[in-house]
Amino acid sequence: MSDFMQRGLDKAHGVTEVEHAVVEGIDISGYWSRMLDQRMTTEFPTEGLDWITSLDGGESLRNCYQCAKCVPVCPIQQVGDYGPWKMFRKAQRGSNFLDDPDLWLCTTCANCLRVCPKEVNMVEIMPAVREQAVLEGAMPDELGEVFANLQKRGNPQGESPRKRAAWAKEAGTEVPIISELGRPVDVLLYVSDYTSYHPRGHDAARAMARVLNTLGVDWAILGREEKSDGDSARLAGEKGLFEMLAEQNIATFSKYEFDKLVVMDPHAYNAFKNFYPALGGEYNVMHYTQFLAPLIDRMEFKASVERRVTFHDPCYLGRHNGEFDAPRKLLEAIPGIELIEMPHYRANGYCCGGGGGGMWLDSLMDEHVSERLSERRVREAVDTGAATLAVCCPYEPSRFEDAVKSTGNEGALDVLDIIELLDRAMHPEA
Amino acid sequence: MSDAVLVIGGGPAGLEAAKSAADLGARVILVEKREHLGGTPDEAGYAALTPNFEPAQEALERMRAGVLDRPEVTIHLGSRVVDASGEAGAFSVTLENGAGERTEVEAGAVIIATGFQHFDPGRETQMYGYYEFPDVITLVDAERMLSQHKFVRPSNGEVPRSVAFIQCVGSRDRRLGNEYCSKVCCGISSKQAIEVRKLLPDTRVYIFYIDMRMYGFWENQIYWPAQEEYNVNYVRGIVTEIVQKDGRLLMKGEDTTMGRPMEVLMDVIVLAVGMEPSQGTKEVSRTFNVPQDKYGFVHVPGEPMDAVSTEVPGVFVAGAAAGPKDLEDSVSMAGAAAAKAVALVRRQGAA
Repeated sequence: MSDFMQRGLDKAHGVTEVEHAVVEGIDISGYWSRMLDQRMTTEFPTEGLDWITSLDGGESLRNCYQCAKCVPVCPIQQVGDYGPWKMFRKAQRGSNFLDDPDLWLCTTCANCLRVCPKEVNMVEIMPAVREQAVLEGAMPDELGEVFANLQKRGNPQGESPRKRAAWAKEAGTEVPIISELGRPVDVLLYVSDYTSYHPRGHDAARAMARVLNTLGVDWAILGREEKSDGDSARLAGEKGLFEMLAEQNIATFSKYEFDKLVVMDPHAYNAFKNFYPALGGEYNVMHYTQFLAPLIDRMEFKASVERRVTFHDPCYLGRHNGEFDAPRKLLEAIPGIELIEMPHYRANGYCCGGGGGGMWLDSLMDEHVSERLSERRVREAVDTGAATLAVCCPYEPSRFEDAVKSTGNEGALDVLDIIELLDRAMHPEA
Repeated sequence: MSDAVLVIGGGPAGLEAAKSAADLGARVILVEKREHLGGTPDEAGYAALTPNFEPAQEALERMRAGVLDRPEVTIHLGSRVVDASGEAGAFSVTLENGAGERTEVEAGAVIIATGFQHFDPGRETQMYGYYEFPDVITLVDAERMLSQHKFVRPSNGEVPRSVAFIQCVGSRDRRLGNEYCSKVCCGISSKQAIEVRKLLPDTRVYIFYIDMRMYGFWENQIYWPAQEEYNVNYVRGIVTEIVQKDGRLLMKGEDTTMGRPMEVLMDVIVLAVGMEPSQGTKEVSRTFNVPQDKYGFVHVPGEPMDAVSTEVPGVFVAGAAAGPKDLEDSVSMAGAAAAKAVALVRRQGAA
C-alpha cells in the first residue's frame, strides 16, 4: 500500500482533497473521503454529553438542535476545522472533550452565543470542561506555565510584582500610588497585566497618566499591590486560581476608598463587573473608554492626528458587555481622524484570538489553524485602507503588531491604543 | 327540505361539529360506526394528548358530554352511511346498523368527519421489519403501552436499554404515494420520548429524523423540553435497515450531519407512522359523490381560506378526513363546518 493511501487510512476522520493523485498507477484525482476511510459504525453513547451537561456551566450543550448557525460566525472556523456545533456533535457521539485539542481552541469570544437560537453557551461550557481537564492535569504545557506564574507572582508573564508600576517612572507626569496618598480618590485605575509589563502596554499606561492628569482627574493606582484580575485564567479552566486572585484583589480594594474603578483591560472589566460581585466585591466599574467618553468636552486637542483609523472591538468590551460606542466616540472626537469600519465590527467583531486563554496557547493554536486570528484581523484592517488599527484592550498591541509583521504589512499599518491617539492629540510635545 | 345537520363520524372533529351545530340551535344527527364515541384517539387507546399531556379519555369525556343527553342531538352508534341522494337542503341518507337494520334520515347539510387511519408499516417492504420483529412497534403500539404506564420490549417483557424513534414512516414518500407530511408524528414521537424517559430514567431514547417538523408552539412545548429536560437525543439521519443481532435490533442508517454511516443496537424501535385516509372517509366520499384528492382524502377546493367546503354544495368536511390534521386543526375545522352547515339549512328554510 502506498504511503499516501496509508495516510488516508490513518486519518480516520479525515476528508482528503487532492488535485492530482495517482495511486498504484490509477488516477484517482478529485474530491473524495470515504474511499480511504474504513466504514466506521457509529454508536451514540450518551456518557459524554451526560457528563458535560452535568458540570456547572456545561448544561446548555444539550440545547443544541444542530442548526449550525454558530459555525459561520466562529472565528476559529474561518481558519480551521473547529465549530461550536461540531463540538455538540462530538459530544453526541460520545466525546467528553478531555482528549480533544478542540477543547482549547475556543477563545470564548461569544459570537456563537450571539446567533444561537437555543442559547448554547460555549463561554460557560468550555471553561467548565477545561476546569475538569486542569484538575486532571490534562492541559497544554504552555498553559500550565502561565497558571504557575499567576499563582506565584500574580501575573501571567511571571514578572516580579515589585515591577508592576515600573512604567510610571518614565511617564513624564505624576502617577499617584493610593497607599502613598493616604486619602480617598475619585478614580482607582486598574492598570492590568499587559499594560503593566509589556513595553507597548507601558506606552498606553503612560499616555493614560498624562491624559488623566491633564483632565484634572483625582486618581491613583495600586502599584505593586495590583494583581491579575484572573478572568482569562478562569476561562482557560483555572477557576480556583481565579477565585484566589479575586479574593486577593478584593482584599486589596477594600483597604482603600475610591468612587470609580476604571480599568484598562476589558477582561478585567468583565471580571470586576460580572464575577467579583458574587465573591463579595462590588464596584462602580468602568472601562477607560467609558470613563473618558463623557469628558470629551473637557479635552483640549493641541494637534490633529491626520489618519484613517479603523477600530477593533474587543470581545470582552463589545459582545460580552455591550459597549460599542464609547471607543468610537473618543476616536471621532480626535481632530483629523477618519474612522472607517472593518466588515466585521461591533457585535460581529472578529476575535483577535487572545481571549479565553488564547493569549497563552499560541503553540497549540498554530498546530490547528491555517493562520492566526490576529493575522486574519490585520488583513481585514489593511483592506480597509486604514493606516492605524485602533485598539482598547491591552492584549491587542503585541498580538496585532506581531501579525502586522508576519503578514508582511510592516509600514502599512500601525497598531495604537485609543489612549495613545488621545495622548498624541492632547500632548503633541510628549 | 330539512333543517337537520348530519354529522358523520364521532371522533374529536365530529363531536365538536355536532356540539357546535347544536349550540347554534340546529337539529343534529350524529352517526358513528363504532359502538363508542371518541374516534381514533379512543379506538387506538391514546394515553396522553400532544402537546399538553392531558389524559386523552378526560378530554374525550368532555367532548362526549357536549353531545350526550341533548334534545337537539340524535346519535346513531354502530351505524354506517350506506346510501345518499338529494342535494343541499334536502339530502336523504340511509344508515345501517350492525344488525343490518336500515334507517332513513333527512338532512339539509352534511359534515364528513370520518378521520384517518395510521399508516401500515408492513407496506414498507424489507425496511423496518414491523411484522418480523416484535420489538419494532409503531407510535400506536407505544401509545397503548404508555396508557398502561409501562414500556417494555414486547419480545420478552424486559425494560429496554435503548429506544429509537424513526420519523417519517409512510409519509413524505413518493414511492409509497404519500408525498405529504403527516404533521403530528414529530410531536407525538417527542411526547412519547418524554414519557418513556419519565417512566424509565435509565433508558436511552433517540429520535432519528430527516427534518424535525415541530410547527408553532410545539417547538418549545415538546421538542425543546424533550431535548433539554428529558435528554432525548435527536440525530439527523434516517434509517433504512433493521436486522436482528444477538437478540437485539441492529439499526443501520446514515448520520447525515457527519456524512457517515451509523449502526446502532436498539432494544425497541418505534416507527412514527403517519396518516392515511380511513376506509370510512373513502366510502362516505364516494356515497356523497365528493371528489377526493389523489391520496383519498376529501378534496377541499377553497383552501386555504375555506378549509371545510367540499366540491358538493351542502357537504362539508372537518378533521383528518381532509388530510393530516392535529387535534387543534380538527376541532377548529369542526366549528367552521358547523357554522357553514347551520347557515345553509337556515337559508334553505327561509327561502
